[in-house]
Amino acid sequence: MTAPPNDRFIKFANCRLAIANQLVPCDIYFSSITGRIVDHQRFFFEQRPQTAIVHDLGGRIVAPGFIECQINGGYGFDFSLPTDKPNDYRDGVAKLNKELIKTGVTSYLPTVTSQGADVYPKTLPHLAAPGTRNPADGSESLGAHCEGPFINSEKNGIHKKEVLQLISSGVLDLESCYRAENLQPPVVKMVTLAPELDKTASVIQELVSRGIVVSIGHSNASYEQMCLAVRHGATMVTHLFNATTTPHHRSPGIFGVLGAQDDLVRPCYGIIADDIHVHPSFIKVAYQAHPEGAILVSDAMCMLGLPDGKYYWTNGDYIVKKGGKLTLQDTPTIAGSSVTLLECLNNFIKWTDASIASALRTVTETPAKMLGLYGVKGSLRPGADADFVVLSERKDVEGNVSLVVDEVWKFGVKVVGSGSIAKL
Amino acid sequence: MESKPGLWMFPSSCPHLHRTPSCRRLIIRPTAPSASLYVASLIAARINAFSPTAERPFVLGLPTGSSPLLIYKYLVAFHREGKLSFKHVITFNMDEYIGIPRDHPQSYHTFMYTHLFSHIDILPENAHLLDPSAADLEAEAERYEAAIAAAGGIRLFLAGVGADGHIAFNEPGSSLSSRTRVKTLANDTIVDNARFFDGDVDSVPKTALTVGVGTIMDAKEVVVIATGSNKARAVRDGIEGSIGHLCTISALQMHRNAIVVVDEEATAELRVKTVKYFKQIEEAAEKMPGDHHRLGKGLEAKL
Repeated sequence: MTAPPNDRFIKFANCRLAIANQLVPCDIYFSSITGRIVDHQRFFFEQRPQTAIVHDLGGRIVAPGFIECQINGGYGFDFSLPTDKPNDYRDGVAKLNKELIKTGVTSYLPTVTSQGADVYPKTLPHLAAPGTRNPADGSESLGAHCEGPFINSEKNGIHKKEVLQLISSGVLDLESCYRAENLQPPVVKMVTLAPELDKTASVIQELVSRGIVVSIGHSNASYEQMCLAVRHGATMVTHLFNATTTPHHRSPGIFGVLGAQDDLVRPCYGIIADDIHVHPSFIKVAYQAHPEGAILVSDAMCMLGLPDGKYYWTNGDYIVKKGGKLTLQDTPTIAGSSVTLLECLNNFIKWTDASIASALRTVTETPAKMLGLYGVKGSLRPGADADFVVLSERKDVEGNVSLVVDEVWKFGVKVVGSGSIAKL
Repeated sequence: MESKPGLWMFPSSCPHLHRTPSCRRLIIRPTAPSASLYVASLIAARINAFSPTAERPFVLGLPTGSSPLLIYKYLVAFHREGKLSFKHVITFNMDEYIGIPRDHPQSYHTFMYTHLFSHIDILPENAHLLDPSAADLEAEAERYEAAIAAAGGIRLFLAGVGADGHIAFNEPGSSLSSRTRVKTLANDTIVDNARFFDGDVDSVPKTALTVGVGTIMDAKEVVVIATGSNKARAVRDGIEGSIGHLCTISALQMHRNAIVVVDEEATAELRVKTVKYFKQIEEAAEKMPGDHHRLGKGLEAKL
């Protein structure tokens, strides 16, 4: 459907904007043509003609679209599983994008777990940030997240030990694994590695200089190794607590960096708030230690949105889904999640004393800042992409507040919710 | 400068004001919020009683700064509740910095947009601010005065007051008959405002465009808000002191229809006698029917 000619300005009226740690009653203007939030103050004082289409949201919450930094697949599709025909893989990604956006996730890092070197050239090029701005495409990749294989075999989680690699020739090892042409944005945006494999931190420095975010994970790093990695440019921790150094009060390991002293700029940290991976009290502890760094991730697998059963994963392994819990077949090992980011967010609101607006930052502003995309994503300021979620609050019998995604807007166009303009 | 009573009638809903305008110099409320609510209710009552139309708009003069913040919050709340519309209200702001862009976070354009204009139904063409980017600032000042005159003059000018008694950017020493012009800021003002510019005195603009004392005196009614103990000296000098250009707010003593609304803290430097006198006036006025500040109390209960 083509937009009518006057469909230039849209105004959300009667809504509360999630800005910083507050829900601010304020209107917001954006353009469905540029797909960006409009600097209405400028328009107001320059007295430009403005016939905005007004959407009265009845007091509901408007937040930037959610950003997911760790998702392995969903709706039966796995980013780490190339298909015989490249077209099938591309179609799989396209289909997933249209499902994922229904959960409020408007942009994300498709995550490829540790794989043999043959998998990367068949997958990564299709996971690059598209560089196009079509609302009907659904959720938008911001570039791939390569979670391994340069990780510690003692902290492999469910990653196949046989495919894990050591770093011996610096960044060349990563280039020969992921392919040199892929090892930069827009293809690869984030790499999870274990810093104990990168003793001089030269790989971290090189990746950061290419615009890739280095996330520390699947690692047994000591506190000192962790601090060294952070000093050399690591700005993220992959699913804190899960497959990271077990904290001890005299050697706090990776977790200890949240309480880092002196001039160290503390990294952000992904955390899986699915009620299985991390005890709620530790989520609260981490958040209270470093609220500005908290990023909720779902770590969802391809079983997201599928019924219970046994599913083929990768490298010849199977995963059993029972309710929300996934385990590697014949083991008690947790194998990612099958929850949505919204469910994680609602758990987080229940477990911590974060306000709704503060909690929303963990899936909007904080990941955007971590990715260096704040101002384009994760923001309601003029010039940012008009990716929004419209949320209602629900209260359960115990008085816990949870959020419901009523509408999703991508590049200024409603794609989820009644009366959506674009056909997904 | 002379107000013209013949052209302007007090709203019929406030009969006592008609009878005793010259006595109502000072309104004391216990706290800053209650003082602000009083002023917001007064403005709302004035606009509504005027029943403005496109042909006959209400012209309102507005300040920026910390003092009016709460007043704007209340006005926005009234608007949200459907009790107040700005559809036929024309506003003129007092002043604007020179040397920072209009969309600077500390510009008065940004302040007005953020705290008032973006939340109400005012038409963009009716919201006037001095344009500091104008090539000829003198011409801009003249244009502004002409625009106020073309709108029929300002019916109600809301103002704050500086700790040194300045009104708008009419720093101590300004002519009490001054008109809109470029003004160099006093050192005290620059240092005081550095808190809004990351504490960097050098990045605070040194000049501003501001309406003159005379421009404010021309308004049919002037309402000043002053809250907090740091305004106590200004309130004392303005109300008990003699008229003089070192405390420009004192010029309002010559205005036929000006009131100063304060909280208890801001009365700290006044003589007990003065405070008692104005409280007595208010008590007497309260017994009269149709007092506008009852509206304030009613709204206060609801908010």
